[in-house]
Amino acid sequence: MSGQLLVFVICGAFAVLGALGLLFFHKAVHAALSLALVMINLAAIYAALDAALLAMAQVIVYTGAILMLFLFVIMLVGIDRRESHRELIPGQGVVAILAGIGTLGLLVFAILGSFPAQAVGLEAANGGNVESLAALIFGSYVFAFEFISALMIIAPIGAMVLAQQARLTAKKTQRERAAARIEAYAQKGVHPGTLPNSGVTALQDSIAVPGLLPAGRISTSSVSQAMVDRDAVVNVHAVSLLTAQRFAELSGEVPPAIIKPEPVDLVDTKDERELLK
Amino acid sequence: MGILEITAPTFEWLELSPLLTVLIGAVLGVVVEGLVPRAYRNLLQVAILVVTIFTAAGLLIVNWISARLGIFAMGALVLDGPAYVTWAAELLFGGLAILIFAERRAGQGASVFVAAAATVPGSKDERLANSIGREHTEVYSLALFSLSGMMVFAASNDLITMFIALEVMSLPLYLLSALARYRRLLSQEAALKYFLLGSFASAFFLFGIGLVYGFSGSLTLEGISSSITLSGTGRGLLLAGIVLLAVGLLFKIGAVPFQSWVPDVYTGAPTPVTGFMAIGVKFAAVMGLARVFFVALGGERWSWQPVLAVIAVLTMAVGAVLALTQTNIKRLLAYSAVSHAGFVLTAVVGANAFVPDGQINALGAISFYLIAYGFATVAAFGIVTLVRKGAGETLELGDWAGLGVREPVLAGAFAVALLSFAGIPLTAGFIGKWAVFSSAWSGGYAWLSIVGVGFSLIAAYLYLKVLVSMFFADPASSVSAVKPSLATWIPVIVGAIGSLVFGLFPGPLMDLLSHAEVFLR
Amino acid sequence: MNPEMVALLAAVLFVLGAVGVLIRRNALVIFMCVELMLNSANLLLVSFAYAHGSLDGQVAAFFVMVVAAAEVVVGLSIIVSVYRSRRTTSVDAPDLLKL
Repeated sequence: MSGQLLVFVICGAFAVLGALGLLFFHKAVHAALSLALVMINLAAIYAALDAALLAMAQVIVYTGAILMLFLFVIMLVGIDRRESHRELIPGQGVVAILAGIGTLGLLVFAILGSFPAQAVGLEAANGGNVESLAALIFGSYVFAFEFISALMIIAPIGAMVLAQQARLTAKKTQRERAAARIEAYAQKGVHPGTLPNSGVTALQDSIAVPGLLPAGRISTSSVSQAMVDRDAVVNVHAVSLLTAQRFAELSGEVPPAIIKPEPVDLVDTKDERELLK
Repeated sequence: MGILEITAPTFEWLELSPLLTVLIGAVLGVVVEGLVPRAYRNLLQVAILVVTIFTAAGLLIVNWISARLGIFAMGALVLDGPAYVTWAAELLFGGLAILIFAERRAGQGASVFVAAAATVPGSKDERLANSIGREHTEVYSLALFSLSGMMVFAASNDLITMFIALEVMSLPLYLLSALARYRRLLSQEAALKYFLLGSFASAFFLFGIGLVYGFSGSLTLEGISSSITLSGTGRGLLLAGIVLLAVGLLFKIGAVPFQSWVPDVYTGAPTPVTGFMAIGVKFAAVMGLARVFFVALGGERWSWQPVLAVIAVLTMAVGAVLALTQTNIKRLLAYSAVSHAGFVLTAVVGANAFVPDGQINALGAISFYLIAYGFATVAAFGIVTLVRKGAGETLELGDWAGLGVREPVLAGAFAVALLSFAGIPLTAGFIGKWAVFSSAWSGGYAWLSIVGVGFSLIAAYLYLKVLVSMFFADPASSVSAVKPSLATWIPVIVGAIGSLVFGLFPGPLMDLLSHAEVFLR
Repeated sequence: MNPEMVALLAAVLFVLGAVGVLIRRNALVIFMCVELMLNSANLLLVSFAYAHGSLDGQVAAFFVMVVAAAEVVVGLSIIVSVYRSRRTTSVDAPDLLKL
């Protein structure tokens, strides 16, 4: 068994496995990774077929650029989203698989036996794969090469038109923002200074921990509204209870009186922010 | 292994100048987007569009008169009679259809394109973008790029150039379909559907290219043709390749069984874009299909002609019958586009018959049919943009009742377009239908012409039904047509007059086509 | 190695991609299946280039890669804009257009 054949058998098997993964994985991100498997293995087969430059381009362009773009978009739309496999048209899947088997039969029938008896190989034509390809690309295919640049212009324009959220109003300057703050203070009494920091406890110091006011109440403006929206705000009183118990265990003393936890109510944060807008 | 000598490629700048002009116009449009303040962009883009189309058309006419025929651009493009006819038609119809993009009276001073495509439909940002009068002026550039793709598609001499042209033609159309101002969800959905099915079809086309390359070892049409005549082995690859190539091409034409995207995309896309793709893509795709099947696969025509004949019949049937059930004017025009694809395919089937000198051959018939269809399409879709109920277009056929009473000029132009679609005598559509059916007849497919006549009678009934409701029914309430600017008037009037003139005096165009229509190999 | 086998592999991948387009419901995955089909066509071109001893197939495969890159940009931006409007990438959810 020649090395070329070995490469083909191994990589071909992996490529088919990857393609099957694309069909059967429920999550889009798994499908993308199995497509990456297919592409890497195809690159190896290209290398075995005397297409060294193409093998490199396959890895760089497909696996490096195209699949990364796919992954970006998958992250954008939510990585753990599962797709439903409910069929809208009953029997569609069966029909599709039957059609696929039929097409495969047609293609196998077409390919088998109709091949040139002996592969010519590319030793003669290659003479340095890169140079020979360059001669073709800048020779008889130069028009295609130039014309494809139209696609390279269309694609970014399309992406910018459909996906770039251009600023619709002028950006507020520092001065305007300061004036608006003072205006809000003058009219509605909103505190014009910086908002309080998030809190630090013995166990946690993330921005999800609200700061405590001197009386032990939670400072509602110390956590970002984004945290409130996502229900990510840490219940500090529960945490402080935990800390106190830990201290007691370590020192063997009776735990100090715990300030009674209040219900976490962060609604008024929103109101403050509304006033600031 | 030595360093290869690479000789510098040569370009025939003069011969390719119409195409290069369109590309330069498109790139200039992009530059304008980058450098010019928003307030002046629309005006400048329209100016660039008009100058580009006129310059390209002028250069094309000069080249055509000087008979600069041949294979150019290092063998990538072939400029023969059919290519010149296609280029001229694409410039004329494409230019007219893109001109409708500039119509602003239809939407209270705003274009039919979305103000800011990246905003979520119905959001605060969208209302803000509308209120400050944002607009996407990139659409002109994208349309010109698409136009250049159409021109190359019909003139490519090898399959890989053809594949690239297919993509240059299609990608801007996928984008443009997503940019409607009203019914944005519908528009985005149409774009998604068009994109997924379109790229699916072009994958088939590409695999077909691979198989045909495997058979012949060459990607040029001439190389494939000569290996068909020379080689006796490997027919399986060739046949499978033909099937897959046909899938890709028939998808773009909108023939059965690849027509399912047509009504949805035609309905969802902004109406001027629908008009542009209806004529532009169809013209380029049919001429490209004819070039591949006549030049490259002509030696194998005994195997593809019967299949194509069946597809033609199915396409005519589905288009004509489903059009009868439609109540939406754009869906109706979409199904009529499907049935027209069927009619024009009958002439492709009747190809390669012996034609006495001076008479129109199959290619001439195809071109004439498509030119007639182009005039009627430009006028029809131009008018659809104008009939309104409230802010958006009204597409319900019921609302169009009685339009002839209220808007006699527009309704008259629409009537001419519909009569031409129907193939009523004295319109260009009639001459076109006569040409394609007689071409199928002389190509040995008499039964196909008879079936075609049958289906065109069904289609004619449909168009007449619409006409009767437009002129003899009580006017529907609250529907009006906006008073358009020149940007719509010109295409509508040119379309209607063209449909009439080439129906009354088809002679000169027939002469031109019968002399021009031979593929160069 | 016999390029016939490579061509058969390409055919298998192509059909798997096509079936994937037909049975998957997520627009992103459908699009990945289209990419798989383009890849299989590339494999076919490369194997035939090897069989015929001509480099045209390899050049074609290069161009296909560039086209695929552009197509991906356009396609993903359409998918993203649909997702923004509807918060889903399933092709079943968009159903305003009926046959």
